[in-house]
Amino acid sequence: MDAEYADIAVIMGITGAMLSMLGMGLLIAYYGSSKTRNVGFLFLIIGLGLGYYLATSGSDTVELHNSLLAFVGGMLGGILGIIAFLVAIIKS
Amino acid sequence: MNLSMTFDDWAVMDFFISMLIVGIGIALLATGLFTSYFGAGKSQKIGFGLLFSGVAILVIVYALTFEAGLGVADQFNEKEFKQALVSGIAALAGMMTGMFVILFVLMKVDTVDDLEDLDLEDLEDLDLDEELKKLEEELNGADSDEPAGKEKAQEEEE
Repeated sequence: MDAEYADIAVIMGITGAMLSMLGMGLLIAYYGSSKTRNVGFLFLIIGLGLGYYLATSGSDTVELHNSLLAFVGGMLGGILGIIAFLVAIIKS
Repeated sequence: MNLSMTFDDWAVMDFFISMLIVGIGIALLATGLFTSYFGAGKSQKIGFGLLFSGVAILVIVYALTFEAGLGVADQFNEKEFKQALVSGIAALAGMMTGMFVILFVLMKVDTVDDLEDLDLEDLEDLDLDEELKKLEEELNGADSDEPAGKEKAQEEEE
């Protein structure tokens, strides 16, 4: 694999993990109780740590804005595809 | 890491639009596969339609990006398309890994901590025989509430 692609894969992999940690951490920290809430705060801290790592280090060759654009585009496309499937099934 | 906030630096066509179309294609392909395999009758036909649409969309994107020998002018930059594809797949893989880690930790952590609040002495004081008798009495009471005609009919049948 090209070094550039490897950089992109690593950076975007960490970004994805950070997003899920922050999202789930927020939900768990808000709705959880006692022990579960503490775990939620731990996830939040891990997510923030990953974000700090991404902000301070990482290859300059990776254009994160474009990579995020691709990720958002892919997710949106997937959602639109599923909506098309649901429309086709429900209308039949 | 390059995180530009200037809109001019964003390659919307090569990164966003291409992945949007690929996302639609993959979603149609996957849902079409499931529906055509598990569906029956009309649903199966719709599944084949979705499957065909997904394959067609992916073939069109391929033709618009790479030299497929179809005489179609390239709309997406080949290198940037590959970068976008790697970005999308890597981010999805990262999210899935994060979710697995979260589920693993949540399952390992003993989240049932309300047992401390439960008063076990109340349970120990319970007389099970007495409770059973009460339940039987309640059930008998419920049976006796039934209309008399039904009871007579049942007795006659017996």
